[in-house]
Amino acid sequence: LLAGLALAALLIITVTLVSVPASTAISESDVVSSDTAIQSAFVLTFRAERSGGNVTSLVAALNSALQLVEKAQAENSTNPAQASSDLHAAQQLAQNVTTESAGVSAAGSSFKEFVFMRSVVSAAAILFAAVFALVFGGRVFRWFWVRVYRGYVVRPANG
Amino acid sequence: MDKETSTLALVLVTILAVFVAVQPLIPSNAEQFSELGILGPTKTLGGYPTNLTAGQVFMLYGYVGNHEGVVSYYKVFVKLGNQNTVVSNSTYANVPILSTHSLVLDNNQSSTFPIGLSVGQTGTNLKLIFELWRLDTTTSQFGYTGLGNYLLINVTSK
Repeated sequence: LLAGLALAALLIITVTLVSVPASTAISESDVVSSDTAIQSAFVLTFRAERSGGNVTSLVAALNSALQLVEKAQAENSTNPAQASSDLHAAQQLAQNVTTESAGVSAAGSSFKEFVFMRSVVSAAAILFAAVFALVFGGRVFRWFWVRVYRGYVVRPANG
Repeated sequence: MDKETSTLALVLVTILAVFVAVQPLIPSNAEQFSELGILGPTKTLGGYPTNLTAGQVFMLYGYVGNHEGVVSYYKVFVKLGNQNTVVSNSTYANVPILSTHSLVLDNNQSSTFPIGLSVGQTGTNLKLIFELWRLDTTTSQFGYTGLGNYLLINVTSK
């Protein structure tokens, strides 16, 4: 019976030790990996902006990621578990920026296209109006003039 | 209106129309530059520490402004040099880095951020150097912007 109890206790201790991961400090390569992820996300943000996209939210997310990396490095010696968690959160933020940048870029391209088309249509409308005024301006003016003054009777000033 | 005047008016309107059409497509011709500023503990241009003891923690503030016309990724390197270390706008100081601060700024955006420092090395007229580096997206490498500044400090042992 004692042997059985001892074996059970040993099993419980073993399972407990295996299931709780030891908190390890972040290494230099972990930080470099996060920096690389943020840098890649930034390049995509840059391209999204060049496409005409609004990158304000992406910039905010990148700054949050950078602050988390700095925080992780600062607290690594005192609270390695928190440092590891912060670094993971930073990488997650960089990943989110990478994912969202494609949508921002596409929206920017569409908006740029819209602005271009609006400009072309505006210019065409101005040109059309100018040509119309040149060709038909006199005729239209006279037509309106007659409409406005059709009820008037013209009498000589001395009559 | 005679024929010549009408034609001239049409030409002027045509030029105006073309100008309107291409206006949104012309890139901004404004000067492109970045800004770096080092502020004292009260976030003003003054009150900089001059006499410190080794290991003493002190606070400064960094200011970075982006007017490059595009979103930019910056790194501010804080380095420690001696009185012979050259701080120039062409080459960076090849001395140890005390700390690094990274930030991303949208165009026409600026940021002021705290820089907590401590200097372990003792000496007189040590140069606390601040350099602004910016990511070149074509090479994916950070390059020195030519913006650097320094504070002269005396550090004594405890």
